[in-house]
Amino acid sequence: MKKVYIILLLGGAVYAFSRCNKTGVFPEDGYDDRLSGGSFTTLNETTQAFKQVVDGLTDRESRVHIIGDGTFDQVFVAAPAPHFGGLGPVYNNISCVNCHRNDGGGFPSTGSSNSGMLFRISVPGADEHGGPLAAPGFGLQVQDQALLGASPEASATISYTDETVTYPDGSTVTLHQPAYGLQNPYTPLPGNYMLSPRLAPRLVGMGLLENIPESTILSFVDAGDKNGDGITGKANYVYDHFTGATELGRFGLKANTSTLLMQVATAYQQDMGVTSYAQSQESAFGQSQMSLAGSSDPSPELVDTLLNYVTFYVQTLAVPARRDVADSVNKRGALLFTQVNCSGCHRTTMQTGVNTAIHLSSQRIHPYTDLLVHDMGDGLADNRPDFLATGKEWRTTPLWGVGLLGKANGGSAYFLHDGRARTIEEAILWHGGEAAKSKQQFMQLSSADRAALMHFLGSL
Amino acid sequence: MTRNISNLIYSSLALCSLTFSSCSKSSDSASSEAFPDVEKDVINNFVNNTAVPQYDNLVITGTGLNNNITALNNTLTDDNLALAQTSWKQMRQVWERQEGFLVGPVEDNDYDPNTDTWPTDYHQMDSLLTSSNPLTSTDVANLPQTLRGYHPIEYLIFGEGGSRKASELDARKKQYLISLSADLLNNNVAPLRASWDGSSGYGNAILTAGAAGNTTYSTKKAFFLNLVGENGMAGICNEVGQQNEGGKIYNPYINYDSTLAESPYSGNSLADFKNNIIGAQQVYLGMGGGKGMKDLVAAKNKDLDNKIQAAFTAAVNSFDNISGSDNMRFEVAIYKRRTQIANTLTAINAVQALLEDDLTNFIQTNVKD
Repeated sequence: MKKVYIILLLGGAVYAFSRCNKTGVFPEDGYDDRLSGGSFTTLNETTQAFKQVVDGLTDRESRVHIIGDGTFDQVFVAAPAPHFGGLGPVYNNISCVNCHRNDGGGFPSTGSSNSGMLFRISVPGADEHGGPLAAPGFGLQVQDQALLGASPEASATISYTDETVTYPDGSTVTLHQPAYGLQNPYTPLPGNYMLSPRLAPRLVGMGLLENIPESTILSFVDAGDKNGDGITGKANYVYDHFTGATELGRFGLKANTSTLLMQVATAYQQDMGVTSYAQSQESAFGQSQMSLAGSSDPSPELVDTLLNYVTFYVQTLAVPARRDVADSVNKRGALLFTQVNCSGCHRTTMQTGVNTAIHLSSQRIHPYTDLLVHDMGDGLADNRPDFLATGKEWRTTPLWGVGLLGKANGGSAYFLHDGRARTIEEAILWHGGEAAKSKQQFMQLSSADRAALMHFLGSL
Repeated sequence: MTRNISNLIYSSLALCSLTFSSCSKSSDSASSEAFPDVEKDVINNFVNNTAVPQYDNLVITGTGLNNNITALNNTLTDDNLALAQTSWKQMRQVWERQEGFLVGPVEDNDYDPNTDTWPTDYHQMDSLLTSSNPLTSTDVANLPQTLRGYHPIEYLIFGEGGSRKASELDARKKQYLISLSADLLNNNVAPLRASWDGSSGYGNAILTAGAAGNTTYSTKKAFFLNLVGENGMAGICNEVGQQNEGGKIYNPYINYDSTLAESPYSGNSLADFKNNIIGAQQVYLGMGGGKGMKDLVAAKNKDLDNKIQAAFTAAVNSFDNISGSDNMRFEVAIYKRRTQIANTLTAINAVQALLEDDLTNFIQTNVKD
């Protein structure tokens, strides 16, 4: 009799499970489309979606992540101070999170505590390693804040004019055409300076991007455009001052940094004026503001372990899962994303390498980037070369998490390297250069298909 | 704290189990009819009797502080200084309790970091006070967050070890103080309160959670999870109770360093921590005699409700063992009452675990709209 009960029970379970399958929530193929970051995916879709830790860390590593998180959020103050001294003497903001709000993007403004934009500066030519040539008196970045008693290097001016784009179906979109400048420099600006605006990007999935095999990234290069799609792509090789080697650039809006350690250390040094073992020289070195540096002690202002912990924190941030993947409009959008060849640069799927330090096994991920730099046309050009990236080239932005950007940023989302686009649609319409063909194809779509494509992007 | 891939598997299984349960006419249909009404009552009461009244109180106590600092500026006496100190602590109590629900504009619009950033930049504060830089409230609003808000005010009116005398407040300090309190009230507290008003206000976004077109909370479940989660009740328990270098209690405790305490000049750190946990408890219980999260839980799982309420009570009461009958300051207790502090951390951790695990799972399972 017991066997009958067991058979009935199992039969019921199979029936119930088949009902589950009929709900249509899960895709039928072998992989779950929601897992943008593979095992490094988080289900969180709240304002905190970009701040989630990856799975599988040990207790000690979780503790390191948490301390890194706290340090990422920590404000710095002027030295001497018992805790977190070392800010400045010139800087852009006082903590990481003031620009990377909830680890997402920032506001495209400068000079305020919630400003997330900064300006790189250089003069024509290249340094001994092929990098941008520092502007005398300003270095490679304009620090628009300074400790009391010191002068900011300059302040930025940002203005916009409206520009109307009309679709073939007659509907229109208004774009913001930015104009940037500098005012009130503490010392005369070189006459031939070049300026490049940079908005703080979201940080999700950085550990995954760091572990995409170099061979994979290089396989995306189509030198000479052999397939005739108008897209070539170029790897940016950059000099790492810490390792003393030239390496493949992966991070930064022009892929001008090869490792997350240097990305974090340089942000502390340039954005906050906080030195570390990996970037030991004050950003204002050699400038008049150095008299306010607070101490002649050459020790790093950021404790070595804290730099490592913040780096580990960034490496172990998860990627938000896609939403609504079974929705028919979303599926249509995903198809169109490929058909108009957005995926020519925003590569949808690749496999990571293994990194035991962050418990990363080889993962199938969907970052929507190729990590290459591409000519994006005159409209987006900053006309400031950065290693091998020309003044028209920008790294393909990873699109994972793009749909949650507004939620993480108090309802306001800003797109592209300088936040000029207020919607995903505006961002698409700014694409030019190697992406011009895709943009034209997007504009030819019906309004319903355009909406489907944007719906898909919103689900990433 | 984290909803990661293992939770995805969990939720997939949970979804299947829900489908499974839907196959049978289960016995929870009687309570499920009433449950959505309880959800609505809890939401309404949270907005109207828990959150908004506390923000009202924040404006009231902020006005009181501003008035008393103005009076101190006009008549520089130790009595007026004592009144300003008292009103600072009154405002601080309200502020710390509303940190039990740091959802919405308080974080989105930076009212929290604008007013409660730690540490204060004392070196630059000295530079500012000895400079001739203008110090209107507009100027203060443009200062770094490390030179705005509660803690610079605290330093000015309490001084080292709470030893401030009114006669020590020179013209620059008074001007800075007036502008700091005006900035706190007019640029932060008042707009924070206003941000919950109106059809486009945050209060309405909560009240209409789950309604078509609500982009803040597409479901009631999303709101409840947020209220419990990292910016809500569990979040403040984590901030106060986490046992690592980021913990507000743990860091000064483990490092034997009173300079790491949150409000060292006023000696208010222990009250700050206790009020944080009371703030989360108030969200759970509901204020003004209306329903709270407890009613949601009790409707389906009275045992869990009992556990959460008991854990909150134990955590809140544990602070009294630290202060003791001699009302010891936290800055002293980190050296002398270490066992009691460790017990409080354990008690807060217990609340946090119940919120992050049991209560979160309860919402995931039972709130269906």
